[in-house]
Amino acid sequence: MPSPTAGAENPELREIGEFINGFGRLGYVADVGLATAVYLLVRLPKPLLIEGHAGVGKTEVAKVLASYLGTELIRLQCYEGLDAQSALYEWNYQKQLLAIKARERSDKPAEELERHIFGNDFLLKRPLLRSILCESAPVLLIDEIDRADEAFEAFLLEILSEFQVTIPELGTIQAKQIPHVVLTSNSTRELSDALKRRCLYHWIDYPSLQKEIEIVRARLPEFDYDLSSEVVRFVQLIRQMNLSKPPGVAETLDLSRASMLLRMKQFDSATAEQMLGCVLKSASDLARIRQEGIEKLVSRISQ
Amino acid sequence: MPSNLAPAAPRQSISDDFELSIIQFCRFAYRNGLDSSVRSTIDSVRAARIVEGESLRHALRTVLCRSKKEWDLFDPLFESFWYGRRLDKPERSVSRLFGSMGKDGEQRAYFFSGDHKSKESQPIVRERKAVAGATSIERLSKIDFSQLAGEDLAQLEQLSQRLLRRMSFRLSRRAQFVHSQSRIDLRRTIRAAAARGTELIELRYKGRRTQASRLVILLDVSDSMNPYSHFLFRFAYALGKHFDRLACFVFSTRLVDVTSALKTTTLPEALKALSAIETFWSGGTKIGSALREFNRGYGRQIRSTDATVFILSDGWDTDAPETLVTELTILKQRAKKLVWLNPLLGLDQYEPVTRGMSAALPLVDVFAPAHNLQSLLDLERHLRTD
Repeated sequence: MPSPTAGAENPELREIGEFINGFGRLGYVADVGLATAVYLLVRLPKPLLIEGHAGVGKTEVAKVLASYLGTELIRLQCYEGLDAQSALYEWNYQKQLLAIKARERSDKPAEELERHIFGNDFLLKRPLLRSILCESAPVLLIDEIDRADEAFEAFLLEILSEFQVTIPELGTIQAKQIPHVVLTSNSTRELSDALKRRCLYHWIDYPSLQKEIEIVRARLPEFDYDLSSEVVRFVQLIRQMNLSKPPGVAETLDLSRASMLLRMKQFDSATAEQMLGCVLKSASDLARIRQEGIEKLVSRISQ
Repeated sequence: MPSNLAPAAPRQSISDDFELSIIQFCRFAYRNGLDSSVRSTIDSVRAARIVEGESLRHALRTVLCRSKKEWDLFDPLFESFWYGRRLDKPERSVSRLFGSMGKDGEQRAYFFSGDHKSKESQPIVRERKAVAGATSIERLSKIDFSQLAGEDLAQLEQLSQRLLRRMSFRLSRRAQFVHSQSRIDLRRTIRAAAARGTELIELRYKGRRTQASRLVILLDVSDSMNPYSHFLFRFAYALGKHFDRLACFVFSTRLVDVTSALKTTTLPEALKALSAIETFWSGGTKIGSALREFNRGYGRQIRSTDATVFILSDGWDTDAPETLVTELTILKQRAKKLVWLNPLLGLDQYEPVTRGMSAALPLVDVFAPAHNLQSLLDLERHLRTD
């Protein structure tokens, strides 16, 4: 059986490396796995579904990708009850009514009026339609798709596989450029198979100690070198404690920023106590940590 | 900026051999638990054409996996296929599980597949055609599930299907006739006006679409619940017909998601699907642990406090009562209403004094019996959308 490394010298491999470097320059520490996923998203091209715990940088991938590619980022935040009207398009009814009133006394035929009020001027473009009408391929971020209901998921299928939308008054609109679609999910519910089948998949786990230190240093280069690793160690310890809301990387960065603001010299239990709110977001978790003893945690960091 | 971002053109330099082994790998992955399709195989080949080295592993993983579960399965599969590492077979076979349980396990498998009626009783039922009169309906709906004999069982099954279906129908009708006239819906108003010229005579309103509330059922299938769990599952199935947003879990010492089994079209299919789902049968019940598993894994599904949570259990718990209390507290914060149905409550002398049950009682909004059909039908009022 041929080994997976068989094959000629490959220029694309360099491109994956370029993604890693480019993301790194923008302050996002990407590993080979993520870079490969993003590379395939751009090259195949296929939507990429990113899952992972809260605050591990899922949304950030899309933002960084947009600035790396130098294109527009179009964001659609999903919520329960999100419908086609607020995701795709809506007619500007107030304007339509005015237009109808204004022309009431003119003797132009009704067909013309209809053509007029269902024209482009009266169309409010929502994120999905905007992403399809873009002249150069934008990055379309469909954030927290698991919050939308199943009906909306089904509605997305046409867009994600055909990159086209149908508006009854205007007909089917084909994408000018295929957008780079990134979907994120906190996996609060299982997504439908049909949707998953149309997507590439990537799981972002909590970063390792080394990687998380790298992330903090990339995002906050002015932050003290030794302090940053202590902050990260502290968060990683908390993360292992089986809390109801374990802190993500976003919380690590918040804690780092807080320690910069408070001009912390060294990581001691008094300041840690002060800043606990950056990391723990629920009363029961806070109580849990206090019961465990912050001194004990802080002393474990320096070991 | 990367130099070239056009869709990849197929490269000819990859040998057919290599492509063939990619396809073989996809099939291998499919046989070993990844839910791949022809489309994902095609994508794998396309991806393999444009990456190499270590990236191939990442590329194939990104293309073939669709969930965290598959993501975790992938690496061992990849190693075993390309580097010949031995694969630890995932424990997925139901037969093995039931096999190791011996006779008892087998019985339960039949139990849920609906074939548990003893062979002798079946022909009798057919002859009778099960025409239940008013008095027998009365009698049957009040008989304790655990006291049922063969014939009654079959009759009650029919009766329960009929009545439960009627209940779920009633529930769904009720949810539809809710109107609120708060905001003018310009879209509909204009559409309606178009039929009569341009004058806006009739205004159309939009209100919130009333959504059936989310329903979560946690069904205890441990030994002590054996006489009841069969009917309670039917109850869950009937509710599944009305509540689109229903999630159902069974638990003994562990928790298993059986929601998909409820979504099948007919009851026998649902029972068959249920018996095919890998479950961890065991004598004991760990309600606390099962609830913890639920809160960790699925609890966030019901973040929006619109959910009614049903726990169907007799409260016999081998966990420490503290665990149960902790987890119930978390659950209660998330749920709109917490209903505990206890079949034993139907017994005259029953007092909820088991350690778990008495600890849980203060946290429960509704504590109701679920020992006979009538008690299940009475639950309708807790299910209404209001």
